[in-house]
Amino acid sequence: MSLEMAAESSEGEEEGKLSGGNQVLIVDDELRELGKKAAWSVSSCKPGNGVSSLRDDNLETYWQSDGAQPHFVNIQFQKKVRLQLVVLYVDFKLDESYTPSKISIRAGDGFHNLKEIKAVELVKPTGWLYLSLSGIDPRDTFVNTFMLQIAVLSNHLNGRDTHVRQIKVYGPRPNPIPQQPFQFTSEEFITYSTIR
Amino acid sequence: MDLLNEAEAALCPANEPSAEVPNGAAGHYLLGLIYRYTDRRKSAIHHFKQALSMDPVMWAAYEELCILGAAEEATAFFGEAAALCIQKQYLNCSTSPKLHSSAEDCNLVDSRHYVSEDSSPRQPKHMQSLKDIPGNHHGVPLLGVTSGQPINSGLSNISYYNTPSPMVTQMSGVVPPPLCRNVQPNGSNMNSLSVENSPRSTVNSTIQAPRRKFVDEGKLRKISGRLFSDSGPRRSSRLSGDASVNANPNTTAVSGNGTSYSSKYFSGSKLNSTAFRSVTVRKGQPWANENIDEGIHNDVIDDSRAPTTSSSSLTMEAKSYEQEEAYIPVGGQVISGSKVISGASEILTLLRVLGEGFRLACLYRCQDALEAFQKLPYKHYNTGWVLSQVGKVYCEVDYLEADRAFGLARQITPYNLEGMDVYSTVLYHLKEDMKLSYLAQELTQTDRLAPQSWCAMGNCYSLQKDHETALKNFQRAAQLNPRFAYAHTLCGHEYVALEDFENGIKCYQSALRVDTRHYNAWYGLGMVYLRQEKFEFSEHHFRMAFQINPRSSVILSYLGTALHALKRSEEALVVMEKAILADKKNPVPMYQKANILMSLEKFDEALKVLEELKEYAPRESSVYALMGNIYKRRNMHERAMLHYGISLDLKPSATDAAAIKAAIEKLHVPDEMDDNL
Repeated sequence: MSLEMAAESSEGEEEGKLSGGNQVLIVDDELRELGKKAAWSVSSCKPGNGVSSLRDDNLETYWQSDGAQPHFVNIQFQKKVRLQLVVLYVDFKLDESYTPSKISIRAGDGFHNLKEIKAVELVKPTGWLYLSLSGIDPRDTFVNTFMLQIAVLSNHLNGRDTHVRQIKVYGPRPNPIPQQPFQFTSEEFITYSTIR
Repeated sequence: MDLLNEAEAALCPANEPSAEVPNGAAGHYLLGLIYRYTDRRKSAIHHFKQALSMDPVMWAAYEELCILGAAEEATAFFGEAAALCIQKQYLNCSTSPKLHSSAEDCNLVDSRHYVSEDSSPRQPKHMQSLKDIPGNHHGVPLLGVTSGQPINSGLSNISYYNTPSPMVTQMSGVVPPPLCRNVQPNGSNMNSLSVENSPRSTVNSTIQAPRRKFVDEGKLRKISGRLFSDSGPRRSSRLSGDASVNANPNTTAVSGNGTSYSSKYFSGSKLNSTAFRSVTVRKGQPWANENIDEGIHNDVIDDSRAPTTSSSSLTMEAKSYEQEEAYIPVGGQVISGSKVISGASEILTLLRVLGEGFRLACLYRCQDALEAFQKLPYKHYNTGWVLSQVGKVYCEVDYLEADRAFGLARQITPYNLEGMDVYSTVLYHLKEDMKLSYLAQELTQTDRLAPQSWCAMGNCYSLQKDHETALKNFQRAAQLNPRFAYAHTLCGHEYVALEDFENGIKCYQSALRVDTRHYNAWYGLGMVYLRQEKFEFSEHHFRMAFQINPRSSVILSYLGTALHALKRSEEALVVMEKAILADKKNPVPMYQKANILMSLEKFDEALKVLEELKEYAPRESSVYALMGNIYKRRNMHERAMLHYGISLDLKPSATDAAAIKAAIEKLHVPDEMDDNL
């Protein structure tokens, strides 16, 4: 029940306006990138600018959509994962009317039951944008889901198609020691918890 | 060269099973190694035992036996019978040309293995240094060689090299070219063996350090002086020398000035110093006493022990040979049988103690091993090899002591690379990243081709959580010497940290192929299966690790965890108790015990254990969090809140913080519901 409440509260959450963007990607050490374990797909793309450009760690290559709005990037996992952060790289200076403006992030078990968990509006962004998936309630630090969908609802200058150069998703690191309810924090415990 | 089949065929022709193995003890040793690498454990053990019976001072064979876990008490091997055997050999050898020739042999052998160019520059040096060296070293080197290995190996070879060597003339003072250099740590063990065997008179000591790339000219002399003490002269000659010297054999102090190298030379002393690992053996002052300013490298010699198996010659202790003041004219000593015996028994006593210590260390009976090593006289204890062994033993028990022991070892013999991989692990556990990176830098500079250096580098990166680079380093180490089990295990650890379990399993399995008694690999496999929730596999692997190292509380605690996951909680509790007893300072088994008790719903006992644990580790957030959980189950909400609050203050990880906060919220809900009602 509390989780549903949290979801509802984040639906009506502030439609944050994001601008600027970091040039360097810096992520908390406690998070790790989960994209490698997922299947990525897009709603449409121009040949040569497909979904692989979103995951190639190359900011020169980009995904270009080729169809009607909204455009989707679908990220599907084999099992439920806890996600905390989505990071995208977009650049108004390079892409102008292809730069996304309104983005909505949805989560669910599959295409049939996605619900929006975050909506943002971008204003001339240039660089890495951090979209945190956490709610206000501490119990909502993570989103536990099978699938994530990033929807581009509109672009700058009313462009039809969009460019996105890179997307990464982050979740918490698992407990290095399996079968434990909590992670160890003190030196004594950590030193004795493994053999090398 | 890895042509094991051919080697085996050469040593032991298939159609003549009863033919005598060529080269006696050395041949058996080589055969034993072959069998070991092809997984024929029983045959390997048989051959090592043969080697030891033929040549009782063959330390390398004894070490192999220990590693295979099949060694008996050291006294069995290094007892009286052994002394007689040595005497017999000596007498046989003594019929060969004079000491000079024996010395030649050494040189010959040495030159065989050692890069000749190395020796050449040395020759002149040695020559002069040799002149003044009295030949009193003979005795000493032998004794010094606690590590003992080389003696044996050298001996056997020596007998084959009776031909007068051209080096004879040089011999007089010739310090055999740094043998160490030629010893390729990564080469096949056999090679190293042979290298060691070759009596390297002077060089021996230096040679030991295969990595001695940087031996300066000036230092060479000293080193050679040192080496000499160990190397070269045939054991017999040494013995004789020893006998003649009869002074504290240990006294062969090798003065840094190299003047005292005389002992080494004594004509014909054939010390198999090669094997002398500098470390342990030296009876004399440890390197430290040497005029270190010049002789720093000497240490290197000894220390560098070929990473290859034990056979690596102990560089020797020879170094420790301090030059004795008394110059014993070496040449032409007629050593009487009794002197040989006394010399032999001296050596054997030393070997016995060292052997016992090493054997117990291999069996992971740490306290006993430490006691055994304590029995060594101060001088021997403070040598690189012994201290490294002590450090390895402490690694199981107490990381701080291990750090101390290894630190001392590095001071005394800074160029010894053996055991440094374990030191880097100790520093990793202690989270000393400065020291670790310094160690890694030093080791890589000492020898870029040694797997230990790359292991240390990898540990450095791993400590900083850069697992990809760490993995590359460990893979390099494994490439340099595929028979170095620890490199494979460390690769496995890194793969697991990167969550690549398949490759991790493969690495652990290759480590186990090299050395079945490498309990770290068993442990690693157990952990992987535990993560993958294959609890039965996990339990099996932890049990194998436990059988090899029954005193490790960490293994026991994971065994208990696996048993608990298999729902065999009663057994799990028994195992946890053992884990707690095994090491009082380890808080983890107590925590696990509380966990198990909680899942068995024995809340009061669990709370008791956790209260105790609070005393041991007052700043551990998970302890309070678990207590909060237990109080919540018992519906004691205030206490639960209190403990959750404390655990949050202690900065748990983000995941746990979220979980704890969620639990706190849930604590309130029942109250709210009551209100609503």
